[in-house]
Parts: sequence; structure tokens; C-alpha cells
Amino acid sequence: MTVSDPVIRLENIYTAYEGADRPTLADISLSIGKGEFVVIGGPNGAGKTTLLETINGMLPITHGTAVVCGQNVRGDGVHVRCRVGYLLQNFTFDPLTPFTVEEVVLMGRFGMIGLFRKPGREDYEAVEKALQLLGIQNIATRPIGQLSGGQQQKVLLAQNLARNPEVLLLDEPFSNLDMFARESINALLAQLVGSGITVVIVSHAFDDLPDRPVRVVVMHDGKISLDRECHPAEVGQVIRNAGSVPRDA
Amino acid sequence: MPGVYLGMLEFLIGNTIICHAVEAMLFASIACAILGVIITQVQISSIGFTMAHAAFAGAAVGMFLSVNATVTAIIAGVLVAFLIGPLSDKARVSPDTALGLLFGISMAVAIFFIAYMQTLGRGFSAMGLLFGDVISLYSEEITYLALISVVAVVFVVVLYKEITGIIFNRRIAESVGIRVKPVYYAMLFVIALVVALCLPIIGGLLIYVWLVTPAAIALQFCYRLSSMFVVAPVVAATISVSGALAGLEYSLPVAPLTAVLFSIVFIGAVFLSPKRRVTIRKS
Repeated sequence: MTVSDPVIRLENIYTAYEGADRPTLADISLSIGKGEFVVIGGPNGAGKTTLLETINGMLPITHGTAVVCGQNVRGDGVHVRCRVGYLLQNFTFDPLTPFTVEEVVLMGRFGMIGLFRKPGREDYEAVEKALQLLGIQNIATRPIGQLSGGQQQKVLLAQNLARNPEVLLLDEPFSNLDMFARESINALLAQLVGSGITVVIVSHAFDDLPDRPVRVVVMHDGKISLDRECHPAEVGQVIRNAGSVPRDA
Repeated sequence: MPGVYLGMLEFLIGNTIICHAVEAMLFASIACAILGVIITQVQISSIGFTMAHAAFAGAAVGMFLSVNATVTAIIAGVLVAFLIGPLSDKARVSPDTALGLLFGISMAVAIFFIAYMQTLGRGFSAMGLLFGDVISLYSEEITYLALISVVAVVFVVVLYKEITGIIFNRRIAESVGIRVKPVYYAMLFVIALVVALCLPIIGGLLIYVWLVTPAAIALQFCYRLSSMFVVAPVVAATISVSGALAGLEYSLPVAPLTAVLFSIVFIGAVFLSPKRRVTIRKS
């Protein structure tokens, strides 16, 4: 799909892990516009997480051009990450982890504050706002290690929202959440997309997706095998059907 | 800074030997405990352990070659810290195996040179590297220790934000835009400096106790990282100064005695820790 004025633009991207004998992503071209809601699907090992980490510059790009939020990912990954939220997959913390919820959320702004500078009033206000958005201000002073998996997931999402991202990359955001939490997070995602934030989500849970057109990108073996828009209720079926699409289709 | 001695505690302790020993233990314990919080929380204890032994090997080589043992210890410690990553990548082994290899090489080099020096009749100074020696320190060595404890404090204060991010989780720190690699390597460099400067006092075999135990004690009571950075050095300084005073009073080996005290306090802390108490509130 072609998008005018994309917020994420990948052209012929190849990404390989050090020591690997073949690229993890091969010849990926993808443009995503402002305020789009994109679901990335595909089997395990298809390269979904690698794609997210290529977009935010955490993985080295061996070939191709990647421009995110107007910045070249290859030369300026750190600055890209200050404007892009990324919720990593399956994180849980040890009960003795010595950080409270508000400290963890504040960390979301450390990159944008910069070296040798202390957080200011604006940073603490952003933390307060993110805690309220997720409805977790009541646990702000609790150690993160003593929370349930779902609560920890919400804290990490708040950490990403605290830096007011232009793009939000979410890797399996519903993995630790119960039904009620999933509904509230989906409502929040709809609100974020409505306000112009681009949301790219890797997930296997497609219930209660925001009621708006969803763009589905299906990956197989490091390549994009399908890229189309559909109704939220059809996402699961579209991804399942794409499972039978051969690699070079 | 040759010949410069600040004599910070001479107004409290009249005996110069005891004063030097207490000052050395105080500064070494503060520096080790502060960096120990980082080492234990970033979970790079095995890196700290390997660096300590590499510094030990470097000091043994320096002594053998009759060059400044502290300088060779720093070089060896830093070299090992920077070799771990490339070695595990190039040799296609896990970082854990790379650390095991470097630890083995360090110990082999250290033992070879210490044993060889003993056959040459230079065994006494080499033994000091193994078990530490608080009595025969030069005044400028104490000044260097004072400086390195200040460096450790300033390092943590200036880069507190980045350090906490890395301690929380390196990948999350990277994902929020923290420049993880330079800060991480700066951490390793400061650890190597501290280890090398503390080696003559505490000894290569015991320095690990100073790096790990105070932080482990603090973790039993602290829910916040900021409190750990205060509690660990206070605990370390109290135990180290007590160990130095008791050891010198009763003619006992100071560093091993203090290491035993650390272990006793740690066991006590585990039993007293509020983190292991179960409280049931009736609403």
C-alpha cells in the first residue's frame, strides 16, 4: 500500500543478526501514515519483532533506507527512539526489583531528557498524565516487582506514553492482560489513533480491536506476504487466510 | 599526585598506622559498595569477578616486571572488560563461557607469576596481592583511594538517570533512547579503576566480597535503588572500619576478618529483611 507523507518509510530493508548466514528481514518496503492502526501478523519466526526493532533502530539495517518521524534510522536511531514508543514482548520483573511504578514510567523520558540533565516539572507532569491514562495512579508508589503481570504490562505501556510518542510499536501487548484490561487498552489505543498517533501492533489476540479500518501486514520468512486494509472483525481471518499464501506471493 | 596525603582522619585517630588502615578501608569500601550496587543490579557480577581476577593478574605481572602494579592492574581489568563482548562473538561462545575463559587465563597468569616470584625470593609482596595488606600502604595510595571514592560517587550522581535505566533493563533502556553502550563501557572502566586501586588493600581473592555483599545487604531492606546507593556504602564503611579497628587491635588479618564480618551481617540481614515477612491485613 502506498501512503502519502508517511511517518514510517522503509525501502528495500535487509536486517541480519550478527553471525547469521541469511537476513532476518529481506527486501522489506513499507510505508505507514500518521494515525494508522496497523496489525502485523504471521507465524512464529516470521520476523514480526525484528520488523518493530528495525523501525526503531534497535537492530542494525544492513541494506536499504528507513526514515521514521522524518529521521534516518541508520544514522540517528537514538533520536528516533525518543519519539517512538516500543513495548517489548513478555516482560515480567523479579519481586525484589528496586523500582517503583512512577520511577519506571519516568524512565520513558530519560532518552529525550538527554545526558547529564535531571528530569524537570514537565517530565513529572507527563508521568502523571500517563499514569492517569492507564488508570494506575493508585499504584504509583508500589514496587513494580510486586505487581501482577497485567499491571506490569500497563506500567510499561505508561512508560512509553510518558514520552508522548508519534509512533507506538507494541509487541504482544495483550499477552499478560485479562479480558477487562484488554478492553480498556483497546479503547485507549483507539483514542491514541484518533489523536493522530500511529500504532503498529504485533498480536495474536484480535478481539475488541478499535472500531475503525485496520491495516493488516502479514509476514512470512522475513518478507511481507500481504498488506491490505480490512474491518477489525476480519483481522484474524485475513491473517489465517494469508497463512496459506506461498513465500514469494 | 605523588607525596600528597590529605590525612583526613588524623584528628580522630592518633596512631598513624591505624589511621592509614582505617582511611584505606573506608574509601575502598565506599567505592566498592557504590559500584557493587551497579554490578549486582545490572547482574554483571561475573564480569566484576573476572575483572577483579584480571586486575590481580595484571598486578602480579607488574610486580614481576618491577613496574607500577596499580597501572598494570588497571590495564588488565579494562582489557578484560572490553574483551568479553568480542571474544564471545568471534569465538561463537556465550558471554558466560567467555568470562570463564578469561577468568581461567587471569588466574593462570596470576598464579604463574606469584609462584615464580616466590622461587625468586619475592614472595612477600606477592602474597599481599592475594590477601590484601592495610598496614604497608603509602600515603599517596590512600589519597588515590579517596579520589576514586569521589569518582565513584560523582559517576553515579552525574549518570544516575542512565544507570537506573540500564539497571532496570538494558533493552528497555535502549528502547527509550538511552545511549546504553557508552554508559555501560564507562561503568566497566570505573569498576576496573576501583578494583585495581583497592587490590593492594583487600587482595585479589577477597575484593569480590566488597563488590557484592554490601549491595546484597542493602537489597534486603531497600525498595528503591536510590536508597541502595546510600545504604550499601554506609553499611560497607561501618563494617570495614570496624573490621580494620578490630583486626589491628587483636593482631588479626584485617581483610579476611572484615570479609567474615560482611558475611555475618548479610546472613543477619536475610533473617531481618522486611521483604520476606508476610503481613495479612484485616480490612
